[in-house]
Amino acid sequence: MLLQQLVNGLTLGAVYTLIALSFSLVMGILGILNIAIAELFMIGGFLGFAAIAAGLPLPAAVAVGMAGAAAIAFLIEKIAYQPLRDAPLITPLLSTLGVSIILQNVATNVWGSDPLQLPAEWFDRRFQLGPVSIGAMQLVVIGVTVALVALLAYLVQRTSVGRALRAVAENRDIARLLGVSASRITLLAFMLSGALAGAAGVMISLHYAAITPYVGVETGLKAIAVMVVGGVTRIFGALIAGPLIGIVEVLTVAYGGSQVRDLVVYGLMILILLLRPQGILGGARTDLGQRV
Amino acid sequence: MSTYYAGLFADVGILLLGALSVYVILATGQLSLGNAGFMGIGAYLASYLTVTLQWPLTAALVAAALACGAIGIIVGFPALRLRGIYLAMATLGFGEMVRSFFLNFEPMGGSGGFHGMTHVSLGTIWLWAGGVLLAVLVLERSRLWLELRAVHDDETAAGLVGLDTTLTKVGAFGFGAAIAAIAGGLFAHHHVYIEPANFGFERSIEFVLAVILGGSTVGPGALVGAMLIVMLPEWLRVVADWRLAAFGAFLILVLLTRRQGILDRPLLARLAFRRSAA
Amino acid sequence: MMGMRAHFAGTLLAAAAMAAGASAVQAQSREVVIGAIVPSSGPFAEWGRTNTVTLKMLEKQVNDAGGVNGAKLRIAIYDDAARPAQAANSLRKLVGDDKALAVAGPLTSSACEVTFPVANQLKIVATSQASSKPGVAKANRPWAFRNTVDEGILAKVSVPYFKKNFNVESVALIYDAKDAVSTAISTRIMPAVMTANGVKVLNEKDPLSFNTGDLDVSAQVTKLKSLNPDGVVIGADYSQAVTVIREMKRQGLVKPVIGGTPLISSAILKAAPEIPLIAPATFYATMKGARAERFVAELQPLLRKESGLPPEIEPSMYDANIYEIVSMYIDAVKTAGVSGKPEDLEADRTKLRDHVAKLKGFEGLGGPIGFNADGDAIKAFYIVQGQNGAWETKVRGCSSANGGGC
Repeated sequence: MLLQQLVNGLTLGAVYTLIALSFSLVMGILGILNIAIAELFMIGGFLGFAAIAAGLPLPAAVAVGMAGAAAIAFLIEKIAYQPLRDAPLITPLLSTLGVSIILQNVATNVWGSDPLQLPAEWFDRRFQLGPVSIGAMQLVVIGVTVALVALLAYLVQRTSVGRALRAVAENRDIARLLGVSASRITLLAFMLSGALAGAAGVMISLHYAAITPYVGVETGLKAIAVMVVGGVTRIFGALIAGPLIGIVEVLTVAYGGSQVRDLVVYGLMILILLLRPQGILGGARTDLGQRV
Repeated sequence: MSTYYAGLFADVGILLLGALSVYVILATGQLSLGNAGFMGIGAYLASYLTVTLQWPLTAALVAAALACGAIGIIVGFPALRLRGIYLAMATLGFGEMVRSFFLNFEPMGGSGGFHGMTHVSLGTIWLWAGGVLLAVLVLERSRLWLELRAVHDDETAAGLVGLDTTLTKVGAFGFGAAIAAIAGGLFAHHHVYIEPANFGFERSIEFVLAVILGGSTVGPGALVGAMLIVMLPEWLRVVADWRLAAFGAFLILVLLTRRQGILDRPLLARLAFRRSAA
Repeated sequence: MMGMRAHFAGTLLAAAAMAAGASAVQAQSREVVIGAIVPSSGPFAEWGRTNTVTLKMLEKQVNDAGGVNGAKLRIAIYDDAARPAQAANSLRKLVGDDKALAVAGPLTSSACEVTFPVANQLKIVATSQASSKPGVAKANRPWAFRNTVDEGILAKVSVPYFKKNFNVESVALIYDAKDAVSTAISTRIMPAVMTANGVKVLNEKDPLSFNTGDLDVSAQVTKLKSLNPDGVVIGADYSQAVTVIREMKRQGLVKPVIGGTPLISSAILKAAPEIPLIAPATFYATMKGARAERFVAELQPLLRKESGLPPEIEPSMYDANIYEIVSMYIDAVKTAGVSGKPEDLEADRTKLRDHVAKLKGFEGLGGPIGFNADGDAIKAFYIVQGQNGAWETKVRGCSSANGGGC
């Protein structure tokens, strides 16, 4: 049962990783918490769902979810962040909260509040590996996550756009002196982050096969904890922290009693914040403590 | 006043207290996203005292405020290590842990909630809300407040000129937690029923929202914000299924046009001038 | 996006026109006002919105047939967004501003807990269409009622059927720890009834739980599977139960499931058609019986015409319940000597309460309805089995103390 539980934890962790990465892209570069990411993930899920229901293949559905969420992220940046970029941190946090409320309402009015479900025959195949049974969709979730993270790693580490992203994250003013357009990079960070959240949404809606306009909040809060544990400004800390939190959750349920799960997860987050604010890997910047 | 508006004003008074609890902490430059946690502790403690131990409400509220103030100070010390958005996230975690604790705390009903409180009158709610607002306004005129703002504006400089920044920041947390506990106690005795879901992340955010919407630089801003957050969803009933979206759009609009909130010093001064001219 | 904006503008205009129309009517003719509190926004929006369509249909039916005692019926409907404070304030508005004679709602148990005390204080009947958390009406006598049956009574009929039909010797529990009704069903009601029927509860000391809004219950289901039960008790509302049932199917745990009324919905039937579901219901859309069938035939096309609701929507149990509640109020206004004059408002509300409290044999959609001393409904209920996409009645029960009167 332990092995099976680890597989469960890894799948959940993969999803957390994607959402935590989308939080930390914006957080790492701009130091703001874009609350609406939780809802981008929900919208991405609905879009992927609609694509599959319309008969598109899985890769196309993922693309649709990513594109839709990125487009909304573009609007969020233009309307709710750009005009407020020099305001205290708390202001964009609340303006993105405003966007969240609107997105939830739109989703309720368009798709209803009942869970949308795919017909059962979708992706239901399972593979038996000794004592462990893995669903085809679980493999897809983990696979897509690894692929997206690798793609993001390449983008950030190896391309000129990535260098610009890192330069802005390191020091906005110096980046500007070096000729990097901070506003273009900001927009890019928002859209990349939106695309990741959208992908996570599609994965979740297809794997768990049931999605409502209100799935964003709980998972979003957990993803924030994952981001913190991984180190807020260390973009790839989430790669470790996602599976870690996923497995911690699963093992708490399996051995400790499911009631204390949230206590454990948020307790771990606070502990990390207090003891290693730079994240479990260390090395992340901690000078983000700007005034609120 | 119609019974409908009496009910709404009771909600405004309670939310005003919650907003003020965020306001005094925010005055030192610390953002708390976990004040619903303090509110929850206050609500459960005050209800336990009045229902199980038969204390009078006033004594129960004072006891809850003191106890929560102490918890606030305990939370305030580790919070010193954190700043800005990190502190916000840690307090968010604290709030979620408190909610999760009460969900599992069977002696006070767990998810089934807790009943038995006696309904508190609108007058009592406003006596407390008005009293705390007044206390904050008096505090704003004091030297202590200058110290708070100094810590907010530049903590290092404040430390250099000999201000005790630790005491100021931890004290603000304690005071904020105590106010949140009063809000919780009154909430419990207004609704005569509490459950853990009342004190989640949404409630914490609502407090912050009231402060920022109303005006985060002046005490009365919290009053304006609390009024808006309670009344607006009622006034927006005409848009039917789009009620919540309209509220979200209004929120963004206010932030875009008045990022310092609706009420600020220049506006307050103008209002005061007009009043004296009339 | 453009379509959305046009729709939005349209809604605004329609709402403005409606508001203007309503005040014009108020000015010109005598009317009987019944209030309703439904969650048309937020997580239960779909239930609130179908409730609204149901009530509008009833209002039109009554007025087309000549109104109530010659007066026009107006059902004043308020959205509480499933928030207790908004529900309580809506009740205050219905009492103070709309001069309602009685109120249907609120829907959730949390909202009832806060709203029923206000109903008692303001002396107006409030009857919930959905709350089934044990003891909520009982704690708020004499003005609070619920047109629902206590889950404890239902389990006593559903469990023996479950045991006999599926040869169940042992069950395992899983529930939504954030939800009071679900917690009561899984940690108190079901273990007691199962044990009384000789069914072993495998994890009574350590029931598995998750939280409302959780997407992933794989760890819980893996543990459930390792207990190797003959049947599974799910304490959750249908939208959370869908997640659990899907996960059971994914992990190959195809065992019969039993739960309370919150499981009843058409959505849950799609989750895993091969897993049989047993739950109690007082109404479901494909139910037999002349009244129920007519109700569905009339309501379903209206629901499907409404934008903002999924195209395959069916009338829910809560639509039936709220329809019965308001029909019962109208019947009371007609027969209990309600004068309808503004100066008699308080007396009229008291007459309505006494009528409802003594009500016996009122013709509901699934059989006669009355209320017990706790304020909960005495009515017929059906233990239904959901399999291969449809509900089917297996046992008919009655919620009165002695089993008669339905």
